[in-house]
Amino acid sequence: MITIRTRKGYDINIAGRPSTDLETLEKPARVALLPERIPFVKPRLKVKVDDPVKVGSPVFEDKRNSQLVFLSPGGGRIADIDYGPRRVIKEIVIELDQDEDYETFPVLNETQLEGIERETLVQMLTAGGLWPLFRELPFRNIPNLQSLPPSIILSLGSREPFQPVPEVYLKDKVDLFEFGIKILNKLTEALFISASPDNNFVPDRLNTPVTHTCEGVYPADDPGVLLYTIKKHPDENRSWYINGQDVLLLAMLFKTGKYPVDRTVVLGGSLARGKKHLQTRMGVPLNHITKGRADDTGAARHIVGGIFKGYTGSKDSYMGFYETSLALIPEGDEKEFFGFARPGFNKPSRSRTFLSFLNKSSMPMDCNCHGEQRACINCGFCAEVCPVDILPQFTYKSILADEIEEALNHGLLDCVECGLCTYVCPSKIELRNILKETKKAYFLEQL
Amino acid sequence: MKFIQKMFDSKRKHFVKGGRFEKFYPLFEAFETFFFIPGNVTKNDAHVRDSLDLKRLMSLVIVALIPPLFFGIYNSGYQSNLASGLPVSFIAVFTKVLQIVLPIIIVSYGVGFAWEVLFASIRKHNISEGFLVTGLLFPLTLPPTIPLWQVALGISFGVIFGKEIFGGTGRNFLNPALTGRAFLFFAYPMKMTGDTVWTVVSGVNSQGVDTFSGATPLAVSAVQGSSVFIESLLSKAGFTLPKLFYGLYPGSIGGTSTFMCLLGALVLVFTGIASYRIMIGGILGVLAAAYPGYIVSLVSGNSTVPMLSLPPFYHLVMGGFAFGITYMATDPVSAPGMNVSKWIYGFAIGVLTVLIRIFNPAFPEGIMLAILFMNLFSPLLDHFEIHFRLKKRVPNV
Repeated sequence: MITIRTRKGYDINIAGRPSTDLETLEKPARVALLPERIPFVKPRLKVKVDDPVKVGSPVFEDKRNSQLVFLSPGGGRIADIDYGPRRVIKEIVIELDQDEDYETFPVLNETQLEGIERETLVQMLTAGGLWPLFRELPFRNIPNLQSLPPSIILSLGSREPFQPVPEVYLKDKVDLFEFGIKILNKLTEALFISASPDNNFVPDRLNTPVTHTCEGVYPADDPGVLLYTIKKHPDENRSWYINGQDVLLLAMLFKTGKYPVDRTVVLGGSLARGKKHLQTRMGVPLNHITKGRADDTGAARHIVGGIFKGYTGSKDSYMGFYETSLALIPEGDEKEFFGFARPGFNKPSRSRTFLSFLNKSSMPMDCNCHGEQRACINCGFCAEVCPVDILPQFTYKSILADEIEEALNHGLLDCVECGLCTYVCPSKIELRNILKETKKAYFLEQL
Repeated sequence: MKFIQKMFDSKRKHFVKGGRFEKFYPLFEAFETFFFIPGNVTKNDAHVRDSLDLKRLMSLVIVALIPPLFFGIYNSGYQSNLASGLPVSFIAVFTKVLQIVLPIIIVSYGVGFAWEVLFASIRKHNISEGFLVTGLLFPLTLPPTIPLWQVALGISFGVIFGKEIFGGTGRNFLNPALTGRAFLFFAYPMKMTGDTVWTVVSGVNSQGVDTFSGATPLAVSAVQGSSVFIESLLSKAGFTLPKLFYGLYPGSIGGTSTFMCLLGALVLVFTGIASYRIMIGGILGVLAAAYPGYIVSLVSGNSTVPMLSLPPFYHLVMGGFAFGITYMATDPVSAPGMNVSKWIYGFAIGVLTVLIRIFNPAFPEGIMLAILFMNLFSPLLDHFEIHFRLKKRVPNV
């Protein structure tokens, strides 16, 4: 086992972290697919409103690659297809039947898996709708079916405050997980499994050795950070990664022959009452998760997918294909009298400019910017936290000056989109967004 | 605070688009955000943000400036009363101060703020808090005898040519306060140098004036052709090392007390606002530049440049070095952004300060020119350090 130390990064001490209790939710009335939230996919619908669907029926495919299909997370009837501006497909809502029908997929046991061709396995994963679970660095797109990854990184860390922890989602499922790892081993010669040192569950229970221990604060466990630390050659840039929980889905597809929809999600944030892990399914409505577990959902921002990287969902929307986290954080749109001059014992800050540096307890945070946007004063706080040694204060200036080559030299593509630069910026510059959008534009140019 | 909120809300309509004073929205915004942290929420990820903003950052610099500010205010009054033969009790000094220093600070803030509002209104951006610091740093570097119209001229030059014509805060490559001071220094040398400018002599009571020389320690040291050791020359003039350290001697308003600057530096370094690398680099630079000459002059026993015989520690406590390296050199906008560059930048400022003090008879003090000179080099230092750093990266494309 190799120990990787990430010196930079930052752990925010936010109140409302979930406990490791697990509660199983009852079946929701509706589930949905959110094509809008799947990166770099142009959806072409394969269903109409009122069409009957089974669990695992194709719902839409990618226009660029019709082999890439996205399957229905529920059995029943297409209740609604919701379009946004410029006819972007936001939600495909499925009303669930009492007894859901399942599409059947081929079953594989261990010995069959040993003997199978890689190409066949890829075809089976794609037809089974689980290929999109793999993501390719550095753009985090869904990898090409034909491409061979230099390595696959499986991260079992959970440094982000509101992500499910492996000791919950892997409980009683270690065998299934081992089977999933066998599938990954068929896809690549170099499988890297990383875990945090402060969680003994993973290395203790697994037969497969953990290859890397990632020491350090958020986002030390991000696959992009691991790749940045271990890569020696530009060829390794296009490594793939997959989340720990998603490996279970791969295994279930081949064990059961059904499209797996199980998800362990986390409900957290200072406005949630039952802050814990919830066993539910893909695409559940947010209000199904918060029902009875939040005091006042009206004042809360529903952050889906993590407070640094996630998006704001409306109360009536659904969990996406990838997202496993819902945080209810106060919107915080009130003004504060003489806010800048207060001692700030309860104002969380990475710097020591408030008395909060004496306060070690976790503090509730809201979505207020805590200041107005100003010009960059080159304080360098962003570079102090960047886990992949980008100099965001210089990189973003070269982006604004349209010097894309220079931004690339600065390591723009190594950016793991952790959002810490935006978090610490005293001038409140949207650094993550600027870097992310530039990466995205660069990727689309290459397509 | 409810009624302040109501006041802003009721006046807002005049300043927003279509209102009578639409052009002066930045002014309105500056005052409103002074009283209230606005309720604007994050639109993009990251959804939560650090509580630190630029207003807090800059107001902490002001907090760090309080020790030299108050000491400087007291000192100018004290020196003035001492030289004028007036009583030096606290009350007497304090009333004196109100006449000397307060107008200078008010003019500096008032005139500079007017320029800020003008540029912000034309450019349609908000007023940056950086000016709060510039507007206070500038008067503290001036001699107390400065005419107010020169204060206004200096801060105008500093704000316009040191900052605004390059695009405002964040885009200036020179420290605006020092740019303003340098302008006055070269435009009106009679009012910025010499033995008479550092103390306000007032009244007809000339009892004390006879024994008053008014020279600063640097001026005493820079006496040419003297064969005695500067140290004894200084102590003869009353400038012992502790006195120089605590700073109760004539000089620029805020720059005399090394002790007070040290307190400010502790605040700045502890809160992480200013770079300790620049400060320590500067001190090392001073010592590195002063020691060789000192040792040579000790060995030879006599020197054509008498200031070489000054013990190097004196350079740290004399003149404006402490003030400059604490508050001016660490201005993040005009200093380099990379860590090694910061060491080099600070070190070079220290070296240049000493070289100017020792070898240039025209300028008794060198810290201002040293900082401005190194400001010019900071983009270059950054450029090379980034260049070397990027070479180590595994390329992406």
